[in-house]
Amino acid sequence: MMRSQVGSQRNRLALILLAPILVVTALVAFLPPDGNERALWLQFIGRFHPLTVHLPIAFVLLVPVLEFFGRNPKFFYLRPSAGFVLGLATLSATTAAALGWCLGRSGGYSGPLITQHMWGGILLTIVCWLCWLLRTELQEPKAAYATALALAVGLVAWTGYRGGQISLGANHLTEVMPSQLRHLLRVSDNIDSVVSHTDPNTFYGARVQPIFTARCTACHNADKHKGNLRLDSYPGLMRGGKHGPAVQPGNVQASDLLRRITLPVGHDDFMPKGKAPLSADQVKIIELWIAAGASGTLALDAIKNAPSATSAPVAEVTFTDIDPAEVTKLRSAIAPAVAQLQKQFPNLLDYETRGSADLRLNASLLAAKFGDNELQAFAPVADHITTADLSRTAITDHSGPLIASMKRLRVLRLTNTHITDATLLQLGALDSIESVNVFGTPVTPAVLPAVAKLPKLAHFYIGETTIIQAKSVPESLAGKLVY
Amino acid sequence: MATDHKNSSISNEVRLAALQAQTRRHFLQSLGGGLGTLFVGTALAQSAGSSNAAPRPESTLDFTRDASTPLSVLPPQFPAKVRRVIYLHMAGAPSQLELFEYKPDLKRLDGQDCPASFLAGKRFAFISGVPKLLGSQYPFHQVGESGHWISDRLPHLEQHLDEICFIKSMRTDQFNHAPAQLLVHTGNPRLGYPSFGSWVLYGLGTENQNLPGFIVLISGGKSPDGGKQLWSSGFLPSVYQGVQCRSHGEPVLYLDNPPGVSRPLRRDMLDAIGQINQHTYSSFQNPETVTRIAQYEMAFRMQMDATDAMDIHKEPEAIRARYGSKLGEASYANNCLVARRLAERGVRFIQLYHWGWDSHGADAKEALNLGFNDRCREVDRPTAALLSDLKERGLLEDTLVVWGGEFGRTPMRENRNGQEMKYVGRDHNPGAFTIWLAGGGVKPGITHGQTDEMGYEIVKDPVEIRDLHATMLYLLGFDHHKLNYSFQGLEQKLTSVKPARVVAEILA
Repeated sequence: MMRSQVGSQRNRLALILLAPILVVTALVAFLPPDGNERALWLQFIGRFHPLTVHLPIAFVLLVPVLEFFGRNPKFFYLRPSAGFVLGLATLSATTAAALGWCLGRSGGYSGPLITQHMWGGILLTIVCWLCWLLRTELQEPKAAYATALALAVGLVAWTGYRGGQISLGANHLTEVMPSQLRHLLRVSDNIDSVVSHTDPNTFYGARVQPIFTARCTACHNADKHKGNLRLDSYPGLMRGGKHGPAVQPGNVQASDLLRRITLPVGHDDFMPKGKAPLSADQVKIIELWIAAGASGTLALDAIKNAPSATSAPVAEVTFTDIDPAEVTKLRSAIAPAVAQLQKQFPNLLDYETRGSADLRLNASLLAAKFGDNELQAFAPVADHITTADLSRTAITDHSGPLIASMKRLRVLRLTNTHITDATLLQLGALDSIESVNVFGTPVTPAVLPAVAKLPKLAHFYIGETTIIQAKSVPESLAGKLVY
Repeated sequence: MATDHKNSSISNEVRLAALQAQTRRHFLQSLGGGLGTLFVGTALAQSAGSSNAAPRPESTLDFTRDASTPLSVLPPQFPAKVRRVIYLHMAGAPSQLELFEYKPDLKRLDGQDCPASFLAGKRFAFISGVPKLLGSQYPFHQVGESGHWISDRLPHLEQHLDEICFIKSMRTDQFNHAPAQLLVHTGNPRLGYPSFGSWVLYGLGTENQNLPGFIVLISGGKSPDGGKQLWSSGFLPSVYQGVQCRSHGEPVLYLDNPPGVSRPLRRDMLDAIGQINQHTYSSFQNPETVTRIAQYEMAFRMQMDATDAMDIHKEPEAIRARYGSKLGEASYANNCLVARRLAERGVRFIQLYHWGWDSHGADAKEALNLGFNDRCREVDRPTAALLSDLKERGLLEDTLVVWGGEFGRTPMRENRNGQEMKYVGRDHNPGAFTIWLAGGGVKPGITHGQTDEMGYEIVKDPVEIRDLHATMLYLLGFDHHKLNYSFQGLEQKLTSVKPARVVAEILA
């Protein structure tokens, strides 16, 4: 008597719960998510879907556990709880489904993945309800109940997996799967199976689709088509979205897609929303293609004046880390000598960079206090000096042989010194030198033939010298004399 | 010997006074603190040691120097294209539409009502209602192999256009002069951040220890709206701040010894003060004390060198004529000549300010058809002469010259209070402006970025201020992420927290 009373009470409860289940089902059936974003309230409530959705998962999985262990007389008390848990499962599944609809309907979602996940959730709710009803009706669990329960567990797994794909990506399980397991389960290594198949020999396939794939398909793909638009394939593009066709073949002005990608960044209709605008070349390619009829089969070379693919963006600047151990090794031969010189002549000599053993000498600041004797002190490191600024110093041609021994010199500045032709004529072996500066020195045009032979020379600064008046200049120095 | 004795007696006195000031309470206080810190120190060292078992590769660069030589030279991180910077800042924001931005469509629509789409959602400093479009006030023509367009206002500079790289798509998010200038100079529109020059000095030091490594020269008259904050060292030790010098008379006021004080006497005085400061530093370890010592020493050395470096009398007449320099006045022309002399003497960062570019048209001085002409005349010849001089002397190959204001100006004519004004002017436009660079590592004769047909908004390759900073630091041999300084728990950097990009397109 007691028992049947409890039973009928549950029946009544079940019938009451049927109403919201039917309402949610009707919502899903008649007002499915369509890719439009809606009222903030609906979206806000919908955001609780991922939170609540874990309740029915746990409850549904708990029921078979209770049923199984309850068969053991030691745990007999577990079985009566199964009905209660099923009730909770049904209630929470209904709530989760309702919130899920809110999220799907308002969050700008649409696509088969969403549809499948959604109907999976609805079915799960109904099956839970059925299980609950069957459990209440029957004194002893029968085949019907067992089948329904198995179905519910299966639905939880499938719907949950689909939900994971929506929030974490289609390959959320396979992408991090260890390769042994991947092999065992025969999961294909090509994780990204959602690549659009377009013919690379068409202009569309080779030039247009890659732009969409790079810039648009994050939101307009097979599984998530915001604005009900898909840009992952030619048919998707031509079908258009909720605002009608995205592209009007041959009519650049009427093509909504082109209008949106060329709007100012802050505009409401601008695409890609919240991202950097397409490059001028990308816009040009799409524009030319639309003007040419927006065909999916047009040959790759049919549009002649399209910006070439090789005018790829300039290589970005990259920075590499400096390995201190490597630098120490590189400098080991000269480090003691350099340290000694740095002590003797503060701020005159230093490494070119923190990572190299090349040296830079700037004696110009000591001016007349720096002469041939001082420069001689640098002889031990001469072949590591790549830049030597000796401007305004007191050095003379006595330093010529030492300068000539700086084999790796790239820049040599002798501005306003007493250096003459004699030193310049000794520089023949400096095959790395790029810049020689004899501004304001007594150097004469007689050095030109020798200087002309320096293979890498780019600039020869000859201001305030007599070279400016040179009658003839060797051809290889054309454009390299600066004054 | 006598002076030594005198010094030691002063410092002994100081030491005695300090000891007498110690009370039992002080002693006990420092005892407790000392024990506590001893424990914390060991504990921290242990935990740090355990978590950092393997030393990482050099992720932040080491800028520590000997305390007595805070300005000593450090090599750059990577091969540097430039060793020094001459930054010619045009305070007030010169109109790009009267100088470098050739917009024939705007000229065609001159005098017509501004379309509503230009005004929707925009705020202006002064424009109200519906302003009229305003074509360039001056004719444009193409110049040189690069084919740059330029107006007829800069006849000397135009001979250098093949050496110049324009960025016509500069953008800022600041709308008023002072914050916009702060952003350009410190990477941040608020007060308290180090200037670009300070960062460079901190990162590279300076070769010439007898001159400040960061020198500021102002064309007389008005200082920029941003004030001295524009060359402040912010949270960096103040030894890295810019030193404002004058281009006539004494370069730095009160640098010379007063009458009756000889140089040896000054030396003695500095030695005594130096010892006292050294005591203070060893007790408190405040880096500002070191700054103080270094500044006194620098001032002493500058007594000899600064006057020479700034003395343009020493330049031949022909060179002065090239700059249009007139002796004995504070002018942009004289400053440009001084800038070249400083560049030769190894000064790391030379910052020039010219002013009066704020061409609203509210009075004759700031009218595009009047005062603006004078500004152009004032900068044209000296800027061109500076470029020529640097090039002839071979300095342009490792110097970076930057010219530009803090924002741009509108393609609409300013109509203060909705009325047509007597003089012609333009309002502020933070959305697009033009700067140019010349020198080492920069592609000469190119234009980067593009604005729309009206010169109003950027349509191609926008460059933020932080991108410009990152690019300049790259030319100086730094990854802008790595030139940093710990302050308030952050590894602070010039480019701040938003991602900055080195504008690779303009690199030679």
